[in-house]
Amino acid sequence: MQASRARLFKEYKEVQREKVADLDIQLVCDDSNIFKWTALIKGPSETPYEGGVFQLAFSVPEQYPLQPPQVRFLTKIFHPNVHFKTGEICLDILKNAWSPAWTLQSVCRAIIALMAHPEPDSPLNCDSGNLLRSGDVRGFQSMAKMYTRLAAMPKKG
Amino acid sequence: MENQDEIPVEPETESSTFISAYEDDDWSNYKDSDVMLQQSAIWEEDAAKSPFVGDKEPLSSLEAEYKSGSPILLEKIKVLSEHYAAIRRTRGDGNCFFRSFMFSYLEHLLESQDVAEVERIKRNVEKCRKTLQGLGYADFTFEDFFALFIEQLESVITGNEAPISHDELVVRSRDQSVSDYVVMFFRFVTSGEIRKRSEFFEPFIFGLANSTVEQFCKTSVEPMGEESDHVHITALSDALGVPIRVVYLDRSSCDSGGVSVNHHDFVPACDEVDKASTSSSGSETNPFIVLLYRPGHYDILYRK
Repeated sequence: MQASRARLFKEYKEVQREKVADLDIQLVCDDSNIFKWTALIKGPSETPYEGGVFQLAFSVPEQYPLQPPQVRFLTKIFHPNVHFKTGEICLDILKNAWSPAWTLQSVCRAIIALMAHPEPDSPLNCDSGNLLRSGDVRGFQSMAKMYTRLAAMPKKG
Repeated sequence: MENQDEIPVEPETESSTFISAYEDDDWSNYKDSDVMLQQSAIWEEDAAKSPFVGDKEPLSSLEAEYKSGSPILLEKIKVLSEHYAAIRRTRGDGNCFFRSFMFSYLEHLLESQDVAEVERIKRNVEKCRKTLQGLGYADFTFEDFFALFIEQLESVITGNEAPISHDELVVRSRDQSVSDYVVMFFRFVTSGEIRKRSEFFEPFIFGLANSTVEQFCKTSVEPMGEESDHVHITALSDALGVPIRVVYLDRSSCDSGGVSVNHHDFVPACDEVDKASTSSSGSETNPFIVLLYRPGHYDILYRK
């Protein structure tokens, strides 16, 4: 518990220091609880998520950094490796490939990379995975783009 | 982990949640976090059965384990008992090599009070720190693990105060917050060494895992619970400058009829600067760390 708190505090300082360096990620710690974080990440360019801003919720366990943080999308997203209802993310580093060499910041980067490179063979969203697996890239992209507009972009007017 | 006669039959406490989820047939509510919870429950159940490092047992306990097993193994255990007196088992959770190494090394220091060896390994630890920094690891990701290892070194050789007792060393080695952090320290050191000398390790890794050095370190070295192979042992031994003997107990037999037990000595590939200062790290042909390897698992062996 003490170790995880100390580590998170170091990450907090690092995030403050690097704020300007990585404009695609805005990582914020909860005011009253260092085990709760949220992040705003920009949808990567040349993907159906471009132009969208997606919110992630982090819940950090007491055994951190020996155990991975739990991360899910709060913003609805149409992606093969993200559960459409719960926002849960299927990513190896959040499970068995986790190691303390990762940080909350680098987890965000890994999630942005996953947005750009979906893994349709291990889908949490089967509809999305099936579109890609059947080769219907256009169908996938228009669905993903529609949800980006609906959920991840500021309402106009 | 092969010790079948010690497995108590547990009532279905942990598994009942699983069964009810199954009966409800409501898999949509069964999330990844539930899977992870269930997995850690299984680990905890295992933990109750065997500590990270067990008590020292006479080698005859190994013989008892195989008494109705392969005659080749029994023969080999007989050969082993000519040179080795005891075994200390470690938990089979994928970290057994690192936990065996940790205990064996600290126990050796505690018994030998070899101050020169502590100074030597501290210099190597500093080199490992620089290696990781050079590879682009942020200090705060690994420094806590390094600090905890140094703390263990300093508790077994204290200078003017009395060092911790042997019992206290056992207690610490069974404490998850100590043991896991030291394992993670070794994993960082191992990964750093492999990546620093990636041209050297590349062919071995390709043969073992058919992956790139980078990928191998990320998926098979740094995560807890990933089992160790000769690549890990070579890298750790080289990085810390500590020789390790691994004795192999498997069913392979030689053609000549007689049974012999193979071993391999991992001798650190020292650079010139190191050679001058390794005088006290044990003679090269007789590493003080001896591990018993049975396919998939490492335990600690004690010489006669």
